[in-house]
Amino acid sequence: MAKCKQSSKAVTSKTCRQMTDLVLGYLTGKLSPSVKRAFEEHLAVCPDCVNFLNTYKKTVAVTKSVQQTDLPGRVRDNILTFLRKRIRRLGAVLLCIVTQLAI
Amino acid sequence: MSALETLKAPSPAAANCAASAIPPPFSLKSLAPKRAMRQRKSAQDDARLIERLKAGDQDALEAIFNLYSAKLYNVALRILGDAPDTEEVIQDVFWIAYRKANSFQGNSQFSTWLYRLTVNAALGKIRRSKKNKEVEYEEFLPKFQKDGHHAVRPVVDWSDTLDEKYSKREVQQLLGKSLDQLKPIDKSVIVLSDLEGLSDKEIAVALDLTVSAVKTRLHRARLFLRGKMAVHLGYTAA
Repeated sequence: MAKCKQSSKAVTSKTCRQMTDLVLGYLTGKLSPSVKRAFEEHLAVCPDCVNFLNTYKKTVAVTKSVQQTDLPGRVRDNILTFLRKRIRRLGAVLLCIVTQLAI
Repeated sequence: MSALETLKAPSPAAANCAASAIPPPFSLKSLAPKRAMRQRKSAQDDARLIERLKAGDQDALEAIFNLYSAKLYNVALRILGDAPDTEEVIQDVFWIAYRKANSFQGNSQFSTWLYRLTVNAALGKIRRSKKNKEVEYEEFLPKFQKDGHHAVRPVVDWSDTLDEKYSKREVQQLLGKSLDQLKPIDKSVIVLSDLEGLSDKEIAVALDLTVSAVKTRLHRARLFLRGKMAVHLGYTAA
Protein backbone atom coordinates (compact mmCIF):
# COMPACT_ATOMS: atom_id res chain seq x y z
CA MET A 1 0.00 0.00 0.00
CA ALA A 2 2.86 2.36 0.85
CA LYS A 3 4.29 1.67 -2.60
CA CYS A 4 1.07 2.79 -4.23
CA LYS A 5 1.11 5.90 -2.12
CA GLN A 6 4.64 6.76 -3.22
CA SER A 7 4.02 5.96 -6.86
CA SER A 8 0.82 7.99 -7.02
CA LYS A 9 2.67 10.98 -5.60
CA ALA A 10 5.49 10.56 -8.04
CA VAL A 11 3.50 9.80 -11.18
CA THR A 12 0.38 11.99 -10.91
CA SER A 13 -0.16 15.62 -10.13
CA LYS A 14 -3.38 15.02 -8.14
CA THR A 15 -3.77 14.03 -4.50
CA CYS A 16 -6.66 11.85 -3.30
CA ARG A 17 -8.24 14.94 -1.70
CA GLN A 18 -8.17 16.77 -5.04
CA MET A 19 -9.56 13.66 -6.74
CA THR A 20 -12.53 13.74 -4.36
CA ASP A 21 -13.21 17.36 -5.28
CA LEU A 22 -13.06 16.55 -9.00
CA VAL A 23 -15.23 13.45 -9.01
CA LEU A 24 -18.48 15.31 -9.77
CA GLY A 25 -16.90 17.03 -12.77
CA TYR A 26 -15.43 13.74 -13.95
CA LEU A 27 -18.76 11.92 -13.86
CA THR A 28 -20.56 14.71 -15.70
CA GLY A 29 -17.81 15.06 -18.31
CA LYS A 30 -17.09 18.64 -17.25
CA LEU A 31 -13.33 18.32 -16.66
CA SER A 32 -10.93 19.91 -19.14
CA PRO A 33 -8.93 17.34 -21.15
CA SER A 34 -5.74 17.99 -19.16
CA VAL A 35 -7.48 17.69 -15.77
CA LYS A 36 -9.33 14.59 -16.94
CA ARG A 37 -6.03 13.06 -18.02
CA ALA A 38 -4.46 13.85 -14.64
CA PHE A 39 -7.55 12.40 -12.92
CA GLU A 40 -7.27 9.14 -14.86
CA GLU A 41 -3.50 8.98 -14.35
CA HIS A 42 -4.12 9.09 -10.62
CA LEU A 43 -6.80 6.39 -10.85
CA ALA A 44 -4.32 4.18 -12.69
CA VAL A 45 -2.03 4.05 -9.66
CA CYS A 46 -4.43 4.52 -6.73
CA PRO A 47 -6.84 1.66 -5.95
CA ASP A 48 -8.19 3.70 -3.02
CA CYS A 49 -9.46 6.37 -5.40
CA VAL A 50 -10.86 3.74 -7.78
CA ASN A 51 -12.77 2.29 -4.84
CA PHE A 52 -13.86 5.76 -3.75
CA LEU A 53 -15.10 6.47 -7.29
CA ASN A 54 -17.01 3.16 -7.42
CA THR A 55 -18.75 3.82 -4.12
CA TYR A 56 -19.55 7.42 -5.11
CA LYS A 57 -21.09 6.16 -8.35
CA LYS A 58 -23.02 3.52 -6.44
CA THR A 59 -24.42 6.20 -4.14
CA VAL A 60 -25.60 8.24 -7.12
CA ALA A 61 -27.10 5.13 -8.74
CA VAL A 62 -29.00 4.22 -5.55
CA THR A 63 -30.30 7.78 -5.23
CA LYS A 64 -31.39 7.86 -8.86
CA SER A 65 -33.21 4.56 -8.47
CA VAL A 66 -35.53 5.89 -5.76
CA GLN A 67 -39.00 4.87 -6.82
CA GLN A 68 -41.44 7.60 -7.71
CA THR A 69 -44.65 7.58 -5.72
CA ASP A 70 -47.91 7.81 -7.63
CA LEU A 71 -50.09 10.73 -6.72
CA PRO A 72 -52.83 9.00 -4.67
CA GLY A 73 -56.28 9.35 -6.29
CA ARG A 74 -57.78 10.64 -3.05
CA VAL A 75 -55.13 13.37 -2.79
CA ARG A 76 -55.66 14.30 -6.46
CA ASP A 77 -59.42 14.61 -5.90
CA ASN A 78 -58.97 16.60 -2.67
CA ILE A 79 -56.68 19.11 -4.33
CA LEU A 80 -58.86 19.53 -7.42
CA THR A 81 -61.94 20.02 -5.22
CA PHE A 82 -60.04 22.63 -3.17
CA LEU A 83 -58.90 24.49 -6.30
CA ARG A 84 -62.37 24.49 -7.91
CA LYS A 85 -63.94 25.82 -4.69
CA ARG A 86 -61.31 28.54 -4.37
CA ILE A 87 -61.72 29.60 -8.00
CA ARG A 88 -65.52 29.74 -7.61
CA ARG A 89 -65.14 31.85 -4.48
CA LEU A 90 -62.61 34.13 -6.17
CA GLY A 91 -64.98 34.51 -9.15
CA ALA A 92 -67.83 35.45 -6.82
CA VAL A 93 -65.69 38.04 -5.05
CA LEU A 94 -64.56 39.57 -8.35
CA LEU A 95 -68.15 39.66 -9.63
CA CYS A 96 -69.21 41.42 -6.45
CA ILE A 97 -66.45 44.04 -6.85
CA VAL A 98 -67.32 44.64 -10.51
CA THR A 99 -71.01 45.02 -9.61
CA GLN A 100 -70.20 47.50 -6.82
CA LEU A 101 -68.03 49.54 -9.17
CA ALA A 102 -70.75 49.59 -11.81
CA ILE A 103 -73.37 50.96 -9.42
CA MET B 1 -10.50 -10.10 -14.65
CA SER B 2 -12.84 -7.37 -13.46
CA ALA B 3 -11.69 -4.10 -11.96
CA LEU B 4 -12.96 -5.12 -8.55
CA GLU B 5 -11.21 -8.49 -8.55
CA THR B 6 -8.03 -6.81 -9.65
CA LEU B 7 -8.19 -4.27 -6.90
CA LYS B 8 -8.46 -6.92 -4.22
CA ALA B 9 -4.77 -7.70 -4.95
CA PRO B 10 -3.32 -4.21 -4.51
CA SER B 11 -0.03 -4.35 -6.40
CA PRO B 12 0.95 -1.45 -8.69
CA ALA B 13 0.50 -3.64 -11.75
CA ALA B 14 -2.89 -4.72 -10.56
CA ALA B 15 -3.85 -1.13 -9.90
CA ASN B 16 -2.90 -0.23 -13.48
CA CYS B 17 -5.01 -3.05 -14.78
CA ALA B 18 -7.88 -1.96 -12.56
CA ALA B 19 -7.74 1.60 -13.75
CA SER B 20 -7.94 0.50 -17.37
CA ALA B 21 -11.17 -1.29 -16.50
CA ILE B 22 -12.75 1.78 -14.90
CA PRO B 23 -16.08 2.40 -16.59
CA PRO B 24 -16.21 5.70 -18.48
CA PRO B 25 -18.12 8.64 -17.03
CA PHE B 26 -21.82 8.92 -17.93
CA SER B 27 -22.43 10.13 -21.47
CA LEU B 28 -25.77 11.70 -22.32
CA LYS B 29 -24.65 13.27 -25.60
CA SER B 30 -26.50 10.79 -27.82
CA LEU B 31 -29.77 11.65 -26.07
CA ALA B 32 -29.32 15.40 -26.41
CA PRO B 33 -31.14 16.09 -29.76
CA LYS B 34 -34.26 14.08 -28.81
CA ARG B 35 -34.33 15.69 -25.39
CA ALA B 36 -33.99 19.17 -26.92
CA MET B 37 -36.88 18.45 -29.32
CA ARG B 38 -39.09 17.21 -26.49
CA GLN B 39 -38.22 20.28 -24.43
CA ARG B 40 -39.12 22.63 -27.34
CA LYS B 41 -42.50 20.96 -27.85
CA SER B 42 -43.20 20.92 -24.13
CA ALA B 43 -42.26 24.62 -23.93
CA GLN B 44 -44.71 25.45 -26.77
CA ASP B 45 -47.50 23.48 -25.08
CA ASP B 46 -46.70 25.20 -21.78
CA ALA B 47 -46.76 28.64 -23.43
CA ARG B 48 -50.35 28.13 -24.65
CA LEU B 49 -51.48 26.85 -21.26
CA ILE B 50 -49.76 29.68 -19.42
CA GLU B 51 -51.51 32.32 -21.54
CA ARG B 52 -54.85 30.71 -20.72
CA LEU B 53 -53.88 30.43 -17.05
CA LYS B 54 -52.98 34.11 -16.95
CA ALA B 55 -56.46 34.84 -18.31
CA GLY B 56 -57.93 32.91 -15.36
CA ASP B 57 -58.95 29.80 -17.31
CA GLN B 58 -59.79 27.04 -14.82
CA ASP B 59 -59.43 24.30 -17.45
CA ALA B 60 -55.85 25.48 -18.09
CA LEU B 61 -55.11 25.13 -14.38
CA GLU B 62 -56.50 21.60 -14.40
CA ALA B 63 -54.48 20.74 -17.51
CA ILE B 64 -51.34 22.04 -15.79
CA PHE B 65 -52.30 20.13 -12.67
CA ASN B 66 -52.61 16.92 -14.71
CA LEU B 67 -49.23 17.54 -16.33
CA TYR B 68 -47.19 18.40 -13.26
CA SER B 69 -48.94 17.32 -10.07
CA ALA B 70 -47.38 13.83 -9.88
CA LYS B 71 -43.85 15.18 -10.33
CA LEU B 72 -44.33 18.03 -7.86
CA TYR B 73 -45.97 15.66 -5.37
CA ASN B 74 -42.86 13.45 -5.47
CA VAL B 75 -40.53 16.41 -5.02
CA ALA B 76 -42.48 17.73 -2.03
CA LEU B 77 -42.90 14.28 -0.51
CA ARG B 78 -39.15 13.59 -0.71
CA ILE B 79 -38.34 16.93 0.89
CA LEU B 80 -41.00 16.76 3.59
CA GLY B 81 -41.26 13.00 4.13
CA ASP B 82 -44.86 13.44 5.27
CA ALA B 83 -47.94 12.81 3.12
CA PRO B 84 -50.45 15.22 4.77
CA ASP B 85 -47.92 18.09 4.66
CA THR B 86 -47.19 17.25 1.04
CA GLU B 87 -50.86 17.42 0.10
CA GLU B 88 -51.12 20.88 1.67
CA VAL B 89 -48.01 22.06 -0.13
CA ILE B 90 -49.18 20.86 -3.55
CA GLN B 91 -52.59 22.41 -2.97
CA ASP B 92 -50.94 25.75 -2.15
CA VAL B 93 -48.55 25.52 -5.10
CA PHE B 94 -51.34 25.19 -7.67
CA TRP B 95 -53.41 27.88 -6.01
CA ILE B 96 -50.42 30.24 -6.08
CA ALA B 97 -49.71 29.26 -9.70
CA TYR B 98 -53.29 30.23 -10.60
CA ARG B 99 -53.33 33.51 -8.69
CA LYS B 100 -49.79 34.59 -9.54
CA ALA B 101 -49.57 33.26 -13.09
CA ASN B 102 -48.94 36.81 -14.30
CA SER B 103 -45.75 36.97 -12.26
CA PHE B 104 -44.27 34.20 -14.44
CA GLN B 105 -42.12 36.19 -16.86
CA GLY B 106 -40.94 33.31 -19.01
CA ASN B 107 -37.29 33.77 -18.01
CA SER B 108 -37.13 30.10 -17.08
CA GLN B 109 -39.10 27.04 -18.09
CA PHE B 110 -42.59 26.95 -16.60
CA SER B 111 -41.77 23.61 -14.95
CA THR B 112 -38.77 25.25 -13.24
CA TRP B 113 -41.07 27.97 -11.91
CA LEU B 114 -43.41 25.29 -10.53
CA TYR B 115 -40.46 23.44 -8.97
CA ARG B 116 -39.42 26.72 -7.38
CA LEU B 117 -42.89 27.28 -5.91
CA THR B 118 -42.93 23.69 -4.63
CA VAL B 119 -39.50 23.73 -3.00
CA ASN B 120 -40.13 27.14 -1.44
CA ALA B 121 -43.45 25.96 -0.01
CA ALA B 122 -41.88 22.74 1.30
CA LEU B 123 -38.89 24.52 2.84
CA GLY B 124 -41.23 27.07 4.41
CA LYS B 125 -43.23 24.28 5.97
CA ILE B 126 -40.08 22.69 7.41
CA ARG B 127 -38.94 26.04 8.82
CA ARG B 128 -42.29 26.57 10.50
CA SER B 129 -42.53 23.04 11.89
CA LYS B 130 -38.97 23.11 13.30
CA LYS B 131 -38.88 19.32 13.28
CA ASN B 132 -35.94 18.90 10.94
CA LYS B 133 -33.64 15.98 11.79
CA GLU B 134 -30.46 17.15 10.07
CA VAL B 135 -27.10 15.97 11.47
CA GLU B 136 -23.55 17.25 11.23
CA TYR B 137 -22.03 16.13 7.94
CA GLU B 138 -18.40 16.06 9.03
CA GLU B 139 -18.50 12.59 10.58
CA PHE B 140 -19.64 11.07 7.29
CA LEU B 141 -17.35 12.88 4.87
CA PRO B 142 -14.06 11.43 3.56
CA LYS B 143 -11.00 12.31 5.64
CA PHE B 144 -7.49 12.98 4.36
CA GLN B 145 -3.96 13.13 5.68
CA LYS B 146 -1.97 16.34 5.48
CA ASP B 147 -0.34 15.17 2.24
CA GLY B 148 -3.77 14.75 0.62
CA HIS B 149 -4.00 10.94 0.75
CA HIS B 150 -6.98 9.09 2.23
CA ALA B 151 -6.73 9.08 6.03
CA VAL B 152 -7.99 5.50 6.34
CA ARG B 153 -6.61 2.96 3.90
CA PRO B 154 -7.48 0.85 2.12
CA VAL B 155 -10.70 2.53 1.00
CA VAL B 156 -13.13 -0.36 0.64
CA ASP B 157 -15.26 -0.79 -2.48
CA TRP B 158 -18.60 -1.78 -0.95
CA SER B 159 -20.62 -1.04 -4.08
CA ASP B 160 -21.40 -4.73 -4.68
CA THR B 161 -21.68 -5.59 -0.98
CA LEU B 162 -24.63 -3.23 -0.62
CA ASP B 163 -26.73 -5.25 -3.09
CA GLU B 164 -25.49 -8.59 -1.74
CA LYS B 165 -26.26 -7.75 1.87
CA TYR B 166 -29.52 -5.84 1.52
CA SER B 167 -32.67 -6.06 -0.56
CA LYS B 168 -33.55 -3.15 -2.83
CA ARG B 169 -36.26 -2.13 -0.38
CA GLU B 170 -33.81 -2.07 2.54
CA VAL B 171 -31.34 0.01 0.53
CA GLN B 172 -34.11 2.47 -0.32
CA GLN B 173 -35.11 2.68 3.34
CA LEU B 174 -31.52 3.34 4.36
CA LEU B 175 -31.24 6.02 1.70
CA GLY B 176 -34.55 7.55 2.79
CA LYS B 177 -33.34 7.84 6.40
CA SER B 178 -30.06 9.36 5.26
CA LEU B 179 -31.83 11.82 2.96
CA ASP B 180 -33.93 12.96 5.93
CA GLN B 181 -30.72 13.90 7.76
CA LEU B 182 -29.58 16.28 5.04
CA LYS B 183 -30.09 20.00 5.39
CA PRO B 184 -33.44 20.78 3.68
CA ILE B 185 -31.79 22.87 0.96
CA ASP B 186 -29.27 20.09 0.22
CA LYS B 187 -32.04 17.53 0.16
CA SER B 188 -33.85 19.74 -2.34
CA VAL B 189 -30.74 19.81 -4.55
CA ILE B 190 -30.44 16.00 -4.44
CA VAL B 191 -34.15 15.54 -5.16
CA LEU B 192 -34.15 17.92 -8.12
CA SER B 193 -30.88 16.58 -9.52
CA ASP B 194 -30.81 12.85 -8.91
CA LEU B 195 -34.51 12.10 -8.67
CA GLU B 196 -35.98 14.63 -11.11
CA GLY B 197 -33.02 14.93 -13.48
CA LEU B 198 -32.93 18.73 -13.59
CA SER B 199 -29.75 20.39 -14.84
CA ASP B 200 -27.55 22.34 -12.42
CA LYS B 201 -28.72 25.54 -14.12
CA GLU B 202 -32.41 24.67 -13.69
CA ILE B 203 -31.81 23.80 -10.03
CA ALA B 204 -29.97 27.09 -9.54
CA VAL B 205 -33.02 28.97 -10.88
CA ALA B 206 -35.47 26.88 -8.86
CA LEU B 207 -33.58 27.33 -5.60
CA ASP B 208 -32.22 30.82 -6.20
CA LEU B 209 -28.62 29.62 -5.90
CA THR B 210 -25.60 30.02 -8.17
CA VAL B 211 -24.72 27.04 -10.39
CA SER B 212 -21.48 26.72 -8.47
CA ALA B 213 -23.36 26.57 -5.15
CA VAL B 214 -25.64 23.87 -6.58
CA LYS B 215 -22.61 21.76 -7.57
CA THR B 216 -20.99 22.22 -4.17
CA ARG B 217 -24.17 21.28 -2.31
CA LEU B 218 -24.86 18.32 -4.59
CA HIS B 219 -21.35 16.94 -4.16
CA ARG B 220 -21.29 17.41 -0.39
CA ALA B 221 -24.73 15.83 -0.01
CA ARG B 222 -23.64 12.84 -2.10
CA LEU B 223 -20.48 12.47 -0.02
CA PHE B 224 -22.63 12.48 3.11
CA LEU B 225 -25.00 9.84 1.69
CA ARG B 226 -22.01 7.75 0.61
CA GLY B 227 -20.55 8.04 4.12
CA LYS B 228 -23.82 7.01 5.72
CA MET B 229 -24.01 3.89 3.52
CA ALA B 230 -20.38 3.00 4.23
CA VAL B 231 -20.88 3.34 7.99
CA HIS B 232 -24.09 1.32 7.80
CA LEU B 233 -22.14 -1.47 6.14
CA GLY B 234 -19.53 -1.37 8.92
CA TYR B 235 -16.84 0.57 7.09
CA THR B 236 -15.53 4.06 7.71
CA ALA B 237 -16.72 7.01 5.63
CA ALA B 238 -13.12 7.50 4.44
